Amino acid sequence: MNLNIFVQHFINALSLGSLYGLVAVGYTMVYGILRLINFAHGDIFMLGAYFVYFATIVYKLPWAVGVVIAIIGTTICGLLVDRIAYKPLREAPRISALISAIGVSFFIENFAVVVFTGMPRPVVQPPILMQPIVLPGDVRLIPLGILVPIVAFVLVGCLLWLLYRTKPGLAMRAISFDIETTRMMGVSVNRIIALAFGLGSALAAVAGILWALRYPRVEPFMGMTPGIKAFIAAVFGGIGSVPGAMIGGLILGFVEIMSVAFFPTLSGYKDAFAFCLLILILLFRPTGLLGERLEDKI
Amino acid sequence: MSEAMLKIKNLNVNYGAIHAVRDVSIEINRGEIVTLIGANGAGKSSVIRAIMGLVKSRSDEMTFISPRDNKPVSIQGKPAEAHVKLGISLSPEGRRILPQLTVEENLNLGAYIRDDVNGIADDMEYVYSLFPRLKERRRQKGSTLSGGEQQMLAVGRALMSRPDLLMLDEPSLGLAPILVEEVFEIIRTINAQGRTILLVEQNAFAALKAAHRAYVLEVGTIGLSGTGSELLNDNKVRAAYLGG
Amino acid sequence: MQRIRNLILTIIAVVLFAFFLDKAPELLNGYWQRILNLIAINAILALSLNLIYGITGMFSLGHAGFMAIGAYVSALLVLSPAQKNAMWILEDIYPWLLNVNAPFIASIIIAGIVAAFFGLIVALPVLRLGGDYLGIATLGFAEIIRILITNTARLTNGSLGLKGIPAYTTLFMSWGCLGVVLLCMVCMLRSNFGGVLRAVRDDEVAAKMMGINTFKVKVIAFTLGCFGGGLGGALMGNLITTIDPRMFMITQTYNILMIIVVGGLGSVTGSIIGSVLVTTMLEWLRFVENPITIGSINIPGIPGMRMVIFSLLLIIVIIFRREGIMGMREFSWDIFFPKAKPKPKHEKSNHESVLEVEDIVLRFGGLSAIDGLNFNIRHGQIVGLIGPNGAGKTSAFNVISGFYKPTSGTIKFLGKSIGGLSPDEVCKAGMSRTFQNIRLFGHETVLQNVMTGARIRQKYSWWMSLMPFVFTDVLREDSAVKAQAMNLLEQLGLSEFAEEKASSLPYGAQRRLEIARALATRPKLLLLDEPAAGMNPQESDELMKFIRRLRDEFDLTILLIEHDMKVVMNVCDYIQVLDQGIHIAHGTPEEIKANPRVIEAYLGHENTDKETDQIIERHYAKKEGQK
Repeated sequence: MNLNIFVQHFINALSLGSLYGLVAVGYTMVYGILRLINFAHGDIFMLGAYFVYFATIVYKLPWAVGVVIAIIGTTICGLLVDRIAYKPLREAPRISALISAIGVSFFIENFAVVVFTGMPRPVVQPPILMQPIVLPGDVRLIPLGILVPIVAFVLVGCLLWLLYRTKPGLAMRAISFDIETTRMMGVSVNRIIALAFGLGSALAAVAGILWALRYPRVEPFMGMTPGIKAFIAAVFGGIGSVPGAMIGGLILGFVEIMSVAFFPTLSGYKDAFAFCLLILILLFRPTGLLGERLEDKI
Repeated sequence: MSEAMLKIKNLNVNYGAIHAVRDVSIEINRGEIVTLIGANGAGKSSVIRAIMGLVKSRSDEMTFISPRDNKPVSIQGKPAEAHVKLGISLSPEGRRILPQLTVEENLNLGAYIRDDVNGIADDMEYVYSLFPRLKERRRQKGSTLSGGEQQMLAVGRALMSRPDLLMLDEPSLGLAPILVEEVFEIIRTINAQGRTILLVEQNAFAALKAAHRAYVLEVGTIGLSGTGSELLNDNKVRAAYLGG
Repeated sequence: MQRIRNLILTIIAVVLFAFFLDKAPELLNGYWQRILNLIAINAILALSLNLIYGITGMFSLGHAGFMAIGAYVSALLVLSPAQKNAMWILEDIYPWLLNVNAPFIASIIIAGIVAAFFGLIVALPVLRLGGDYLGIATLGFAEIIRILITNTARLTNGSLGLKGIPAYTTLFMSWGCLGVVLLCMVCMLRSNFGGVLRAVRDDEVAAKMMGINTFKVKVIAFTLGCFGGGLGGALMGNLITTIDPRMFMITQTYNILMIIVVGGLGSVTGSIIGSVLVTTMLEWLRFVENPITIGSINIPGIPGMRMVIFSLLLIIVIIFRREGIMGMREFSWDIFFPKAKPKPKHEKSNHESVLEVEDIVLRFGGLSAIDGLNFNIRHGQIVGLIGPNGAGKTSAFNVISGFYKPTSGTIKFLGKSIGGLSPDEVCKAGMSRTFQNIRLFGHETVLQNVMTGARIRQKYSWWMSLMPFVFTDVLREDSAVKAQAMNLLEQLGLSEFAEEKASSLPYGAQRRLEIARALATRPKLLLLDEPAAGMNPQESDELMKFIRRLRDEFDLTILLIEHDMKVVMNVCDYIQVLDQGIHIAHGTPEEIKANPRVIEAYLGHENTDKETDQIIERHYAKKEGQK
């Protein structure tokens, strides 16, 4: 394996991993607060991709405008999902919200089939993102490959800033430990939960857009597998932890790309590695890499 | 001195089939330290949690009269966050410090409803002056504090919303006797600086000494009430605790 | 009488239904026959997942994987060598596999067994996880299975899948299998072992204290559920005649999960109703995807619309009727007839007992919850363990009953060391307890709660409960235990509630039921954690008499934690006092009442008048100064 190919793989893994990370962050925030696996999150991600597809390719708006529309549209969808399908079930047993999440996931996927048809649609990549940059040693870099991790890291950086440097962020962290105490401090818990859904959806929208550019196409079920993988990434990192989700996403990205790069014969088992790793982590460190241990009370 | 701040008539709390609080009536006047004492399981925490809106309750009246505008407001059935905005705050039983947040973050959370940055900074300094130990540890996570420090943090956090009525649930619980003294001294200081305090305590002697007036709860109902010093010398209090 | 009547009614219903199935090919077209088949298969799948999740409480998302195993095993066994030869195009089939063959019935049973075997392998490590993590791990396994199937082409023909599987799944086959599964499951759930499964779901901690090895019980239920998954998958393969790995994605598990949630988690009847509804609805809704012609208007079919409507209905059901159609209730012929009540008998037990606790220390991290606890309990004593909040009383109970391992120190029970034993082992040794915040199996009847307590005294194995008519020990032991349980309920004045749900009892009765359940294990030592909590003075008066009566009638030794001092002082022969983990005093009630250390622990430090005055003076001086 020469340097060029290795760099390609490395960049590839980095950008795939950071996409998983971006989606994982949304899972981890919602799970951290509500203990709900938001199965619809992968489909929110798909909506982001479709929004940008329609804005830029069908309606020919500039990319910048398209991206903004996609983020806003997806965020609104995320908030609606919480308001309609999850909020009425806050006091219900957790399985109810989980089934509701599965229902929402089915709904969004099939709604997309109805509205957009089930056919995959090609996404035209802006040429500027695809023009390879040649570095010394004949290492070629595709700008998109570099853009993805940069965007992801900047966004997660912003999120961390929000979580650790602002008041709503403080409330969000507090809620994930103790909803009642946080309420005692005068925090409107439902607003903060909505904020978490909104932020998670916005990040998923960005991930969806970048994903659509990377594999240049959109289709209604494109969120399913990345959604499950991102959730696994969140569990890796320790569910509830934002940096953990990002690290988990990167680990998953590297495991997938590098295993195939070094053992091409095992490429069919690529997804199995991720799941095996998941089960090992769960068995030996059930709360993930950065997760907090919760004690059972007798 | 006898301007009422909180009036409660016939408060009842049920947990499923358990009738934990039965027809409890309490009045708190502006500037007082009122204590609610009683043995374990007498329903003290349920009363204070019902006032804060953390458990469902029924009552004939639950009115808070804010000294800010002297308007009586019914707080029955309102959520806890509304209480904080009215000027009531609670330092809960078991401290309920957020373990992964730093001391300073815990205090900032207490000031969540406020926007006056300077005022918050002043109050933070004020809390640090009450509890100098917290200042030393402001960057440490809540979980690394000792029990006594956590208790101080819980009280300090409750002060950060600048409440008119401060409710303290078992502030001496699990503290060494010397620390208990320290906590009660601080409670008196806070009161002297103009805050009304409702104190729920199992430690009857310390609470009665600190309080202007006291109510003794016995299995869900008020058994005795009077001034702190009256009850301090009343053998019935001992009976209420040790079963006569 | 009642049982015979119900049996006759059931037989009549089954015969009528068999008659209907016999005539079905003439009455129904192929489309409806297929739906009928799918209903039966989905019901088998739903019942098996319900056994794992609804009844035993393990959140599993792996059912599609076990279905896949079943479908492939059965298909590989029933396909002829010629068909196999023709189908494996990309890679050659393993030679040994080419000629392996089995009749259909054998193939679906083997399919179930292989799936159960995989289930067992998965269960052993994974069931140690709880809640959502278990769900994620099982989901992971299902995906791994799918990936393995895709990639082991010599075994499974990879992503091409298997085609031309003989359509052996007839209506009699699918409904016959459902009948057998249903019969075994109902028998098991009605036996005391079934009660144990539900007990593990309702409260695992309390189940352990009833002497139940909950891990083993969970592994059994999970493995049996996987058998059902494999069986359902096999039938499915032989119905559709084509299988490939994409059929067994997570969506498949979601479908089954939806059936059991719509029908009612934990209800067998609900699973059947759910399969009928969901299967028919999903098939019927296909009309929205087909072009419709009304008069001269042509409405083109809308792909995807079916699932849109279906998912909306699902969300609406879960928001407005979250317990599903049946909740946890079951169908019974009895709903058509008025009720009758059973009658109990009498019995008694006798023993010697001592508990010796020596130098118990319990630390969590740096915090010591108990710091040196020593005491003995003589046979027939009632001993109180008291102390203010956070004194470490419940921790002491948890150490004695095996939930916590002490950091150091020894505990001897009946002369044998029980340090390090798990709660179920401690229970088997003859100790039982109640919990501060009552831990009943809330969804079960009062009678079943007590019977669960008696499970450790039964000799029959779990698998016998699948076929109680063959292994009549099950019926005999269950009826003996039932009579004993009724007897206990009678003695504790609970017999009128025997058939009520435990969680519906008034508070005082729930406390008594928890004690009755503990007594059903035939303990020699009974630990009571705050029996008077939440009682009014009158109720606690009755409780005192009750505790003394318990000791006399059941020849017990009793250790109790209690905050109500009136109860403690009146009922206890001897008292141990803890304060902040330290054993500060012991003695008779009179000694304890007069003990200054106890008074200080409860009422606060008494001798600080001077100090306090000084503090107050200092304080006011400061205030003056400020002004």
